[in-house]
Amino acid sequence: MNHAPEPLEISGMRKVFFPGTPNEVVALDGIDLSVPAGQFVSIIGSNGSGKSTLLNGVAGTFPLSSGKVLLGGRDVTRQPEYVRSRSVGRVFQDPRAGTAPDMTIEENLAISLLRAKRSGLRMGVTNKRRAVMREQLTRLGMGLEDRLKSGVSKLSGGQRQAMSLLMATIAEPSLLLLDEHTAALDPKVAATIMELTGEIVAERHLTTLMVTHNMELALRFGDRLIMMHAGRIVLDLSSEQKATLKVSDLIEKFHEVAGEAFAVDRLLLDA
Amino acid sequence: MQVIIQSALLQGLVYAFMVLGVFITFRVLDFPDLTVDGSLPLGAAVTAALIAGGHSPLTATAAGVLAGLGAGVVTGFLHLLLKSGDSDATNYGPKLLAGILTMTALYTVNLRIMGRSNTPLLGVQVIFDKIGALLSISMVAWNLIIGLAVLAVAVKYLLDWLLHTEFGLCLQATGDNESMIRAMGTNTNITRIVGLGIANALVALSGSLVAQQQGFADVGMGIGTIVAGLAGVIMGEVLFGVRSISWVLFSVIGGSIVYRLLIAVSLRLGIAPTDLKLLTAALVVIALSVPTVRKKVMHS
Repeated sequence: MNHAPEPLEISGMRKVFFPGTPNEVVALDGIDLSVPAGQFVSIIGSNGSGKSTLLNGVAGTFPLSSGKVLLGGRDVTRQPEYVRSRSVGRVFQDPRAGTAPDMTIEENLAISLLRAKRSGLRMGVTNKRRAVMREQLTRLGMGLEDRLKSGVSKLSGGQRQAMSLLMATIAEPSLLLLDEHTAALDPKVAATIMELTGEIVAERHLTTLMVTHNMELALRFGDRLIMMHAGRIVLDLSSEQKATLKVSDLIEKFHEVAGEAFAVDRLLLDA
Repeated sequence: MQVIIQSALLQGLVYAFMVLGVFITFRVLDFPDLTVDGSLPLGAAVTAALIAGGHSPLTATAAGVLAGLGAGVVTGFLHLLLKSGDSDATNYGPKLLAGILTMTALYTVNLRIMGRSNTPLLGVQVIFDKIGALLSISMVAWNLIIGLAVLAVAVKYLLDWLLHTEFGLCLQATGDNESMIRAMGTNTNITRIVGLGIANALVALSGSLVAQQQGFADVGMGIGTIVAGLAGVIMGEVLFGVRSISWVLFSVIGGSIVYRLLIAVSLRLGIAPTDLKLLTAALVVIALSVPTVRKKVMHS
């Protein structure tokens, strides 16, 4: 029923927005990236470097201008987003994006348990599923396991983001995409969600791409670090290489590779 | 007074299915569906034409309901053609236009089905007579009201069950957070089309029952259905509460009855029947603006 983690293979991925108009933007300019099954990749880069576009391209949010995406060896380039979503879990920056606010906690989790399955006319919330939900919610340490029938709109941003993370991973996707998923949370909550992310990814050996603005996070988490600039991958560090780096080294590396001043103050501030 | 209550209950119950349909589109799917102004008379026209043609009223009613289902599905497909991508869940333009197009087309369809603008159903057996005959009772006055109430409660529980199945949860999520449920692997184009079909089937059921109860189907009987439906939904929510889907399905049936009671009282007070649409529109405006106005007053 569940997907095993699978390798991700991106070749020659290009995305041009508004082609042929004065507003033409080359968001992705030929990305080649090979991620073995179970690898956790952190992706950093300035605003407009294409890191979120890369995740959207992998998820199938829009058709690519050219290039290919292979998931577990299967070419998914032309698969519609909702089909690809059956094996790809996603968490977004906005904690409201990952849950249905007017539905209850158990209804939301039931939906996430149905991922990759044909939803039929059986009851959505069953006692068997409730047991799984309680077990999974307990690990969040937020007491949500006793509030299964509460509406999600009543939860805090951190609780909703924890739910989103759980919903994205509960059906063990082949691939997990995290798009600055702690950036909108206050620092303490962000740290909790990040620890949780590390635990879940490690425990399930999920193939993961995590986009972040925060260099320290990128150094602390993940087995590999990628830096993007102007729609290209400009730096690709292995686990051993990044273990020796500090945030200041990373900034220096960026200057070296990109050859221009770092555009975003937020990167420094967050670090 | 008893006459007013009896007529309000009768009207409120025959239109309750329509109000449930409007609730499904407007609240559950977040799709303000104007198809209903056409699918209500569609249900009536199909049923009336078939009964007048000598068919059983049960068959005729079922056919009316199926026609409504088809109308909703057509609106769903038109919406697919009109919308510009998957990411515009809150863009109501294509949703409104899809409903308006189907509604307008249905005017012609309804005239074609009946072959004229009005089909009388007098002196023929309608569904109430048929069911009365089966149960050996006379389906008039309170018997008719009780019969309709039983049907309304049955439909309520059917919807309640459906909305809590796996498919139903996906349907609810389509209206609540479409990009999330797409990211969970659900094709929201399909859930939306099915939802619109179910809602308009309910609306057509009301149309069919109204025609059989009042003794005729008329091509103009659908005008203002969406506003009357909204009035029922909003009054139900305000008066009886929204604590859960199961509860609110009862609330909107209650809202339908209260709305018809207000209409009956207005008529008794001497308001001309032709003024009712204006009154209904004013009612909806007041009910919808109360929260906004209250907020403004509180902050000033």
